[in-house]
Amino acid sequence: MSTPDSFEPPHSYQRFSVSDRVQHGTMVISFLVLVATGLPQKYIYANYAFLDGLIDLMGGLETVRLVHRWAATVLMLVTVYHVMASAHRVLVRRVPLHLLPRYQDLLDAVQAVRYNLGLARERPRGERYTWEEKVEYWSLAWGTVVMIATGFMLWNPVATARFLPGQWIPAAQVVHGGEALLAILAVLVWHFYSVHVRHFNRSMFSGRMAEHEMEQEHPLELERIRNGEQRAAGADEVARRERVFLPIAAVVALVLLTGIYWFVTFEQTAITTLPLR
Amino acid sequence: MMTQQLDRVLLLGPALLLLAAPAARAQECLDCHSQSGSTVLFKDGATLDVTIDKAAWEASVHGSAGVGCTDCHGDLKEYPHPELGDRSPRNLTLRLYTSCQQCHEEQFKKTLDSVHQRALAAGHKNAAVCADCHDPHAQRKITGEKGKLTAEARLGIPRTCSRCHGDIYAQYRQSVHGAALVTGNPDVPTCIDCHGVHDIADPTTAKFRLASPRMCADCHTDRKRMAKYGLSTQVLRTYVADFHGSTVTLFQRRHPDQITNKPVCYDCHGIHDIASKNDPRKGLQVKANLLRTCQKCHPDAGTNFPDAWLSHYVPTRDRNPAVYWARSAYNVMIPGVVGGMALLAASDFVRRRIDRRRHLERRHRPESA
Repeated sequence: MSTPDSFEPPHSYQRFSVSDRVQHGTMVISFLVLVATGLPQKYIYANYAFLDGLIDLMGGLETVRLVHRWAATVLMLVTVYHVMASAHRVLVRRVPLHLLPRYQDLLDAVQAVRYNLGLARERPRGERYTWEEKVEYWSLAWGTVVMIATGFMLWNPVATARFLPGQWIPAAQVVHGGEALLAILAVLVWHFYSVHVRHFNRSMFSGRMAEHEMEQEHPLELERIRNGEQRAAGADEVARRERVFLPIAAVVALVLLTGIYWFVTFEQTAITTLPLR
Repeated sequence: MMTQQLDRVLLLGPALLLLAAPAARAQECLDCHSQSGSTVLFKDGATLDVTIDKAAWEASVHGSAGVGCTDCHGDLKEYPHPELGDRSPRNLTLRLYTSCQQCHEEQFKKTLDSVHQRALAAGHKNAAVCADCHDPHAQRKITGEKGKLTAEARLGIPRTCSRCHGDIYAQYRQSVHGAALVTGNPDVPTCIDCHGVHDIADPTTAKFRLASPRMCADCHTDRKRMAKYGLSTQVLRTYVADFHGSTVTLFQRRHPDQITNKPVCYDCHGIHDIASKNDPRKGLQVKANLLRTCQKCHPDAGTNFPDAWLSHYVPTRDRNPAVYWARSAYNVMIPGVVGGMALLAASDFVRRRIDRRRHLERRHRPESA
């Protein structure tokens, strides 16, 4: 006879899997490298000695440009991994798409503003992902798509000009720089405030969130867990779906990876041009 | 004829050497040297005509200032002159030009750093020294008010350089700058405006290359001067904002000797053969010419590719609208989005402080009551 564990409620709850945390960590590193190598390039015209010095510190402009491309490749790889892992989560494990924006998120946002202004009696009650987290996730997703698309044009200008007007390349440069600045500032304001300033949210590193934090930030999610609504699919069922998923996923992943390879090897014009005669 | 002169020199010579003013000494020399036909035979077999054009001398800056012949030809004070030890006329020039520094020290010192002096040191005896550009027996005054070069002197500069650099002169003469110079245009550069005058640097170095955009910009960002010709003064700013220019600018700031293949002004516009932007054969406003220019470094470039370079135009609604609207969109979006986020974060922060204080007050109230 054994005492059921559930008798004593756990003090913390699983929030992010190892895979989620590795994705986050990889993305943070590539993001920081992209910022460190990208921002000084964006502001060369402004003649900041500090940024010029940073470029030299990182091995000079040509090296910085190469490192920027390597970091971009890492970001693209982690993006592909994220797409595949999300597909697995949804299609095989049938985890609901908690991150999809709903009408309720808009209501929550309005309520949050009203509450902050003293016009509502209560804060919106957080689901697994709050409206604030969804803003962040979809900003990142959108930003990544924009950066990859414009990055392709800057990396492969000669090829791009074969099927797009030439002025789209400098336009892509403007968008790439603008979106970068937007992303950096959004991270500094939104992300830092939400998970570092307001209180340090460790769950993306530890994977777990303490009960009192759950009560504060994700009360609806906590309620569902306590009501035992988190149903685990049967192991057989998952195994069966996985047998279908894996070969298809392998093909899709191969296509995406080939796309990345094509992206980074398409042309080297932007890095290597004919030497001076 | 010779005896007659000899007599006079024998009679007056010693007295003049001691007493006469330099001008008088020149007059003395000219008695012989203004008569045509005197030549000197050198060891290498070459002969040198030593006739001096008296009128030219007297009109020259040296002649009119009373510089004496022996101020430079110090070894020829005696008559008959001692034998010249030089192997060739060129060797004679190379021996004598150092005497210029007696009066023109500043200019002379500058030449010591010049590409010509370096060539000379490397054994190229024909590399220009002072007297090759400034004929000491005929050089007129070249500066006018405030020490600025006279219009006539400016006109003469390319011709002076052309004596050695003939091919380059031919190109320059056809260029938008050179063609305007001969019509008396005071705004266009002559050789020395880009290359310097006495301390002419080697224009084939990485350093010269990286510094060159600033050199062109000296005139091409001068509003008053460019307005006369309807030329844009945005050329440097737009160049620096683009990949090519930002790379070159950064290198120039941090590593002026860095070798780079990124283009500077003259890689696209030409060096001595710079054409008007509308020139049908070379002008970069003509798309075919621009494409050919791009293909020098980007051989696979197609017909759309040159439009990736905005031709120094600042994007507007009409010209390069994609760039204009992209810039405008982010100019609105960045402050809009980030400002909105900041407001939300700030209101949340303040609200939480208030909530916390109220919470604490409520907890303490029953005890104090």
